[in-house]
Amino acid sequence: MNEIVELNLHDSKVRLRWQNFLKSLDISNFSDKEVEKIDKTLGIYEDNQLVATGSLAGNTLKYVGVCNKGVTQGSRFNTIVNALVNYLFQNKIFHIFVFTKVKYSTSFQHLGFHELARSSEGTFLETGTPGIQDFLAEIPQISNQGQKRISAIVMNANPFTNGHRYLVEQAACESDYVYVFVVSTDLSLFTTVERTSLVKAGTGDLENVSVINGNDYLVSYTTFPAYFLKSTDEEIEYQTTLDAQVFKTQIAPFLNIKKRFVGTEPLSKTTKKYNEVLKRELSPEIQVVEIERLKSKSQNFITATEVRHLIQENRITAIESLVPAPTYQFITDNQEQLSHRIQEGMNINGN
Amino acid sequence: MEIKQTAVAGTLESSDIQIMISKGTNDFEIELESDVKKQFGDQITKVITDTLKQLGVTSAKIKAVDKGALDCVIKARTIAAGQRALGTTDKPEWEVL
Amino acid sequence: MADTEERLRRTMMFVPGNNPAMVKDAGIYGADSIMFDLEDAVSMTEKDAARILVYEALKSQNYGEAELVVRVNGQDTPYYPNDVKAMVKAGIDVIRLPKVESAEMIQMLVKDVEASEKEVGREVGSTHVMAAIESAKGVINAAEIAAASDRMIGVALSAEDYTTDMKTHRYPDGAELEFARNMVLHAARAAGIAAFDTVFTNMDDTEGFYRETRYIHQLGFDGKSLVNPRQIPMVNEVYQPTEKEIENAKNVINAIQEAKLKGSGVISMNGQMVDRPVVLRAQRVMMLAKASNLLDEEGNYLEK
Repeated sequence: MNEIVELNLHDSKVRLRWQNFLKSLDISNFSDKEVEKIDKTLGIYEDNQLVATGSLAGNTLKYVGVCNKGVTQGSRFNTIVNALVNYLFQNKIFHIFVFTKVKYSTSFQHLGFHELARSSEGTFLETGTPGIQDFLAEIPQISNQGQKRISAIVMNANPFTNGHRYLVEQAACESDYVYVFVVSTDLSLFTTVERTSLVKAGTGDLENVSVINGNDYLVSYTTFPAYFLKSTDEEIEYQTTLDAQVFKTQIAPFLNIKKRFVGTEPLSKTTKKYNEVLKRELSPEIQVVEIERLKSKSQNFITATEVRHLIQENRITAIESLVPAPTYQFITDNQEQLSHRIQEGMNINGN
Repeated sequence: MEIKQTAVAGTLESSDIQIMISKGTNDFEIELESDVKKQFGDQITKVITDTLKQLGVTSAKIKAVDKGALDCVIKARTIAAGQRALGTTDKPEWEVL
Repeated sequence: MADTEERLRRTMMFVPGNNPAMVKDAGIYGADSIMFDLEDAVSMTEKDAARILVYEALKSQNYGEAELVVRVNGQDTPYYPNDVKAMVKAGIDVIRLPKVESAEMIQMLVKDVEASEKEVGREVGSTHVMAAIESAKGVINAAEIAAASDRMIGVALSAEDYTTDMKTHRYPDGAELEFARNMVLHAARAAGIAAFDTVFTNMDDTEGFYRETRYIHQLGFDGKSLVNPRQIPMVNEVYQPTEKEIENAKNVINAIQEAKLKGSGVISMNGQMVDRPVVLRAQRVMMLAKASNLLDEEGNYLEK
């Protein structure tokens, strides 16, 4: 019988068994980044051998692996996924994601999962409620949106700078309506709620701009689990492709988005790569418009990274010329707390 | 009766059906995944809606994943999910059973 | 003792109450009794769902001739009242109460069953009950428990909890269960009801299962609780009467017929008077022979 047991990965013997089993199924990435986020791991033993396993990290299923030797195809897979899903349901989590190899997509679809995006390396599926249709239905639209020129910008805005503002202005000029999606990740110095409200405050005067919290669908792509990939190069490629595909196949058609505005990327290698993938994946249906980055008076590019460094160095007045008034106001009001977050170890590098 | 919270009953195991019920805006919105949807989709949908009506539910969003459940199983899982969503699990509607 | 005709209760198969595949197929294995479990086999979060599932299955599925039993949750749980009410409404044959330690617990169950019968419009007295004995106290009080109500049809020993209570565990030779088995069996016989032996869970130890089944058959148990349908034919094989037993039984049955024809009140065979226990045993052997497919339509022994 398929009896489910909990696997304690802190027990080194259990952990080794678990890893060896997954390795035999060609899953070999056990980096801390992937494994540390696991909240719970379940397994099925048969004759003292691990024959199926699956893990949960928040509302995401990871490291699902099943050996079908000697049993009806799919029965152990169903049992393990069922146990993981029911555990989340019992904890009142009704919206569930899975990132997995392409070849497992159909198996998950048989259990009610819907594919949101796929790349050659992996797929991204969801099940439960509220799903992407609910997310899209709540986004405001203008009348006759289907006939209008609609554009989108996706930004982290950590925090919202004059550079971001310039990008939004350019898009607003060239479009009937612009959606600014603020990515949802709390690994940033400014929380999602803070970032969203600063973008709203900093664009409030632009009538054809709507600021939307990216929720579960426009996340920082680097948070996509990539445990089943072998190399980091593959990882960035896969994560950015998936991110672009969610936008292209799920979000853009529903809202009639035809243009995506991005800033040119002179500094970050990852972001540069991201822009390349975006162009490749989105065209021809969606045009990627690159806007030359705004420079400050001292002829430097304005970046949120620089703003965060100035906060760290307590050079608050130097920020004033780089950000819109509401952002500056927020930083001066909350300087102490922001410094405290940096001291607590919040990473301020990166994007 | 009003749906108070999202609730689920049933499993993804063979011969079972997993039914998730959440607040709906009007009428019944049913999304069904089943290997036999072509042949029995209408029948499954009918059992679910009939049972919910008996529970006094007039609108709901339902997601169902069928793994070859008999009608009596579909009915049982709908009642269980419905009562959980209505918050009436401890005081079952005996007439509906 | 419940006023029912003598029936075979060799096998009582446990069916987890929240498993639709097993609930659906429970009738196809030929168990004498099917016991749907709402207690240990169901996690706390699924108690409501299992109760409703078993209810709907009982209302719609055909389980043939099998006696239908449900193990409800204990009287100290919040699930017990709704379990009893739902199962009475579903028309279950027997409600099995776990962890019984006194006659009062059975009397309370009977009171609750009767209230439910009246409420749902079922004939009062038509729901039978049985007790599972799972502790030292239950074993000591087995006699009063077995005789607690005329709705009682049987007592069952449940060895997992009992051995824990006795500060031991189960051993292959079953010595730790000897006293409990005899107590439960004597209580059942004294009250004129059935006695069920405990489950045997190691599915890989076929030899051990046969050994235990032969032993409890020898003691006089009606049958055994089972966790796997594969055990049903094994129990039936042990309970199958021998050719000689069938021949003897047939002679007794013939003697009864003869006495009836003669209009005689006394049954005699080979010049000896035949006692009532002998008559009952002969009838039981014929039932077992028939159930084991050892007789043709005219009641003659079939060579195998």
